[in-house]
Amino acid sequence: MITSPAGPLNGYTGIVLTQAWAGSYATQLLGMLGAEIIQVEFHGRPDSWRGAYDRPIPEAIKTTQHSAGEQHTWNVNHLYNAVNLNKKCITLDLTHPDGIEIFKRLVPFADFIAENFAPRVLDNLGIDYESLRKIKPDIILCSLSAFGNNGPWRDVPGIGGTIEPISGMSSLLGYEDGPPLNSGQMYPDAVAGLNGFAGIVTALMHRELTGEGQYVDLSMHESSLAFIGDALLEERMTGNIRRRQGNRHTTFAPHGIYATADGGWVALAVETENQWRVLSEVAGHEEWLADPGFIDNAARKSNEDRLDSQLSEWFIEQDRNSISDRLSHAGVISAPVLDAHEVAADNALRNRGFITEIDHPEAGKHPQSGIPVQFSRTPGNINRPAPLQGQHTRDVLGQFLDLSENQYVDLLKRGVTGAGPAKSTQP
Amino acid sequence: MNRSEPRHGALHGIRVIDLSTSISGAWCGKMLSDFGASVALIEGPEGHPARQIAPFDKDSNSVVASYVLANRRSAVVDMSEAEGIGIVQAAIERADVLVCNVTPEELTKMGLDLEPLLEKTDGLIVCCITPHGYTGARSAQPGNNLTASALSGWASINGLADRPPLKASGFQASYCAGTMAYSSIVSALLHRQKHDPHWGQFIDISELEVMTSTFGPALLAGQYEGKPPGRVEKVDMSTGPVPVKDGHFALTISRPHFWRDAMNVLGLGDLAEDPRWGTRWYRQQHAEEYVYRAQEKLSAWNKMDLFDALAALRVIAGPVLETNELVENGHLRDREFFQLPENRRPDFPGPAFKMSQSPAEISRHAPEPGADTAHVLSEFAGLREISIKSLMKSGAAR
Repeated sequence: MITSPAGPLNGYTGIVLTQAWAGSYATQLLGMLGAEIIQVEFHGRPDSWRGAYDRPIPEAIKTTQHSAGEQHTWNVNHLYNAVNLNKKCITLDLTHPDGIEIFKRLVPFADFIAENFAPRVLDNLGIDYESLRKIKPDIILCSLSAFGNNGPWRDVPGIGGTIEPISGMSSLLGYEDGPPLNSGQMYPDAVAGLNGFAGIVTALMHRELTGEGQYVDLSMHESSLAFIGDALLEERMTGNIRRRQGNRHTTFAPHGIYATADGGWVALAVETENQWRVLSEVAGHEEWLADPGFIDNAARKSNEDRLDSQLSEWFIEQDRNSISDRLSHAGVISAPVLDAHEVAADNALRNRGFITEIDHPEAGKHPQSGIPVQFSRTPGNINRPAPLQGQHTRDVLGQFLDLSENQYVDLLKRGVTGAGPAKSTQP
Repeated sequence: MNRSEPRHGALHGIRVIDLSTSISGAWCGKMLSDFGASVALIEGPEGHPARQIAPFDKDSNSVVASYVLANRRSAVVDMSEAEGIGIVQAAIERADVLVCNVTPEELTKMGLDLEPLLEKTDGLIVCCITPHGYTGARSAQPGNNLTASALSGWASINGLADRPPLKASGFQASYCAGTMAYSSIVSALLHRQKHDPHWGQFIDISELEVMTSTFGPALLAGQYEGKPPGRVEKVDMSTGPVPVKDGHFALTISRPHFWRDAMNVLGLGDLAEDPRWGTRWYRQQHAEEYVYRAQEKLSAWNKMDLFDALAALRVIAGPVLETNELVENGHLRDREFFQLPENRRPDFPGPAFKMSQSPAEISRHAPEPGADTAHVLSEFAGLREISIKSLMKSGAAR
């Protein structure tokens, strides 16, 4: 069977103004599947995920072997480097007439443009959808904003940490007896990124069929709401306001995370009677099978506190890895709770090619999460680490706009492009 | 962006057979349908498993099933019988996309070996969404949203340090994986459309890998910082929602001007004007010097009053809203986020994004099992009326 290793989106180009997590993640996924992604970073207002220019470089990174001679704090932020693989980065001061002019000259080369500024920013820069259409009639623009491009909250900014509560996600995350919580990192950004990716490929499909571009209006708020849509629908269908459930399930029991003797945690879920039988046998508690309180799922759900108590007593005497392995190999839904280091080292994820070592010129070589899909005939690939700030300005402007070396140096001198704090843009 | 003629979704004309029995498969099918594909859900006689998931309405309809199975046709086919397998094979041969969530062995048991299927069916795209992927050490192990949270790293950072790790709420791994599957299918369709109409392929989606992809920044934080991030000791305003008069409120500041304006609203001028506080890393290192002062001020506000005050200054702010507050929310109503399929209630959460020229359309509530069996056998499997009647009579289709 013939295969094409360049990814299913090979041949498409995105000139993107994405930043932080949501937009950058969306465009990283497009790049992983073969699209060429030119990330345009706002010179003078760097991507917030590069961090502040005076942020100290972590000690662990200072001592990591790397190929570049010098390290810059804005190039070694884990946040930025996690979500900008497979991209080229150019910097332009879009408030400078020459900066915005260069951006507009790049637009004809783009199949899509993506951005996640507040909605008014593109208007202010004169590159809103209608303006872009005048440059390239079939352009696709995907905007990922906090609350979308219309409505009373249009101009209210937001980040994952504020979208999580206002979308209802925080009201559902937490312990049954505790307050609402935010996730450990700003999960709504990832949700918006996945959906931004979906929106752009859907628009590309429409364009292939009709020749028509379009505007994709992604509200982070709404994309999060779509992912708790069953809870919203529950209110409409039953009048019930869903509350926090900890690790429990609306239907199945047991369904929880239990402490083990070695200080670890094991996730366990039982969805069938056979799994319950196997669990009871592995635990050496065959008497559970005859216990009227545990006789079927409905009984176990009704007696979930007692069930969890007995399971906790058993798990606390077990070793995390050996018991979760034993259970999962026996067909019970079970897994150890892994931390970030353990996930990075996970053999199963590495052997499938998902966790890969990425060599970054200033940050060194580190394992990163890779392409979350495998295509049999058009596999994606990771062909470059996250770019240094402005790393590709000279090359991209030369390649697309035929800009000469002297013209590039002139832009540098005038602060239209550059890297790092504004003063360092002056040669 | 005025539209003078009827519009179709971008996937108009694409036929999808959905054999999946998972929430992630169902969500993928729903997105395909929302954006214009014709999707036939083929259920076994026992019905899609989502139909058994609580909670239920007064008519015993599963809320979850009502959400994820909406907007498609349903046929009930008994695949334990050769006749049933024949129906499914006939439908797949005429399809562009097959969505499933079974292991290779299970697919074989269904009489649907992958390689022959791809070779026989011109241009077919098969997407299989499983807990751990189609290959690898965990491929045969069962998994669900709980274990995806555990193995991806998310549970290690969700919740409090002195309490158990927390899974992401509800069906997050399913929604993420279903969305990734949707985008991957559309990407494969794009490639087929652009290069070769005969170019079908197999797409392998692991729910665990999609969730680990969303964990990417925390995973790399562990490498760059030298230690893995963990759960917080306690929640304060730098990490999540804190109490206000009528609920909880998150003021997780990013940009320096947000900090300045928020502190001025709270009446903490000294914190507002000192530029050191504008950077996140400085605040993290000196949290004890501001969080209790700021939280005391926050506690005197009602959540929407504070949101309005900060929104007027274009400062990010997050009142914790509950589902009843969201379904009545004016901003969402103005944006027509909730839709009314078939012009009847319940009104339905809309798509995750809006498209100006090929908008999503949620036109049907979730069908009863087998509500469209005759239609699916006719339109998707290409069977004649007499055959359909015979299959219905034999019980192979219902």
